[in-house]
Amino acid sequence: MYLVANIETEICAATSCKLCTQYCPEANTILYDNAAGEDKGFKYGAAYVAVDRCKGCAQCVWVCDNMAKHNAIKMEMIDQIGETALTENVTYGEKTSSAVLANPVRGQM
Amino acid sequence: MSLDYVKFTPGFGKFMPKEYRDMVEHGPFGKKVSVSQVGTFKEILEEHPMCAGCAMTLFIRLAIVAFPNPEDTITVGTAGCGRLAISQAAIPFVYGNYGDQNGVASGLTRGLRLRFGDKPKDVVVMAGDGGMADIGFAQTLHSWFRKEKFTTIMLDNEVYGNTGGQESGMTNKNQVLKMAPLGKKFEKMDMLGMAKVSGCAYVATVVPNNPRRVESVIKKAVLVAREIGPSYIQAYTSCNIEYAIPTDKVMEDAKTVETDRYKFSEYITDEAKEYLSQLYGYKEYLPKPAAAVEKR
Ligand SMILES: Cc1ncc(C[n+]2csc(CCOP(=O)(O)OP(=O)(O)O)c2C)c(N)n1
Ligand code: SF4
Ligand code: SF4
Ligand code: SF4
Repeated sequence: MYLVANIETEICAATSCKLCTQYCPEANTILYDNAAGEDKGFKYGAAYVAVDRCKGCAQCVWVCDNMAKHNAIKMEMIDQIGETALTENVTYGEKTSSAVLANPVRGQM
Repeated sequence: MSLDYVKFTPGFGKFMPKEYRDMVEHGPFGKKVSVSQVGTFKEILEEHPMCAGCAMTLFIRLAIVAFPNPEDTITVGTAGCGRLAISQAAIPFVYGNYGDQNGVASGLTRGLRLRFGDKPKDVVVMAGDGGMADIGFAQTLHSWFRKEKFTTIMLDNEVYGNTGGQESGMTNKNQVLKMAPLGKKFEKMDMLGMAKVSGCAYVATVVPNNPRRVESVIKKAVLVAREIGPSYIQAYTSCNIEYAIPTDKVMEDAKTVETDRYKFSEYITDEAKEYLSQLYGYKEYLPKPAAAVEKR
């Protein structure tokens, strides 16, 4: 098993600085959902990770901790992460993208 | 090469893979996108085999987002790490033999101008420091002296990364590497100075820990090369493998190196300034207004 980045929506949605998306070396990996956290009263949306594209470098963690100072990203084992975004479940919209969450290792264990 | 090549052949759309459909429907072709919008549109760069956490990968990603007209852009590369990613993008990529990239780009640029006349097609070379300052040195310099109108970007990781750590002309003096156990014997080559002497109209150094700045220099370099003359960007894109930088410290390293010895620099000729301000609205290059007339 290996580590992937996981973003805590509620911490991220409090500010939604969009820094980590600009620093991930991989394209189309940290995506941005304008409606995330809306149900909990947050209005700016939040970043999320399409974990099948994440190479586990943790650069986003450094950026969120040290540049944004929000500590919203943790590295987690892919089989412990639960439901998360995968490229095949991502839908792009007008200036946003959203994902139906799924278990990345279901059927492979 | 136009917006047409990113459309579906009628009736075939539904058979295309999801990534392809996303690219056609939500990619940046024909739109103005910026680095601050990443994560909300489908990027041109796809998955590729470059190492996890590589700063060169980040730079290439940002550069491709910054291309002013991706639908009219062709990239040229050569052997080295960068081509592993540049070739996995939804814009045409031409692979020059190792070191041939600026020669290939010269011919390509001239051919495109013959074929398409005034309609700009942007040619952008992205290659490693070894490919550009050592093996392709003559062709790089010649394309500049000959004023070939395309952009040259050096992915400067200060080592031959793809072949396991030999020194390049761009490695710093005394640096010990796996395949340079006694340390490099001569200074890092001054490619920036040579770019200016040989007549580049726009020259910049940049480090990817400032994504907006990467975007800004790429846009200017590509636009200047359309009409005015060659442009050169030298980007510090560390090799975390050969320099043993932990992947979560790559941006910290970029910041330190930027402060120490890779400061942002920009050189632009007056002709290029005038062109950017008049054709593309760059206010920073407008001639300074004459001192305000004194009120009586
Ligand atoms: C003519 C020729 N000589 C040597 C090679 C082997 N080769 C492939 S990549 C490479 C080094 C690449 O170093 P650099 O250009 O600095 O790019 P990096 O991999 O560091 O990004 C070499 C020597 C080759 N492909 N062709
Ligand atoms: S850097 Fe942190 S707070 Fe900012 S968008 Fe990314 S996860 Fe959210
Ligand atoms: S761990 Fe690396 S590859 Fe994964 S999302 Fe973070 S920056 Fe991107
Ligand atoms: S060898 Fe170095 S430059 Fe090449 S992909 Fe890996 S980290 Fe990047």
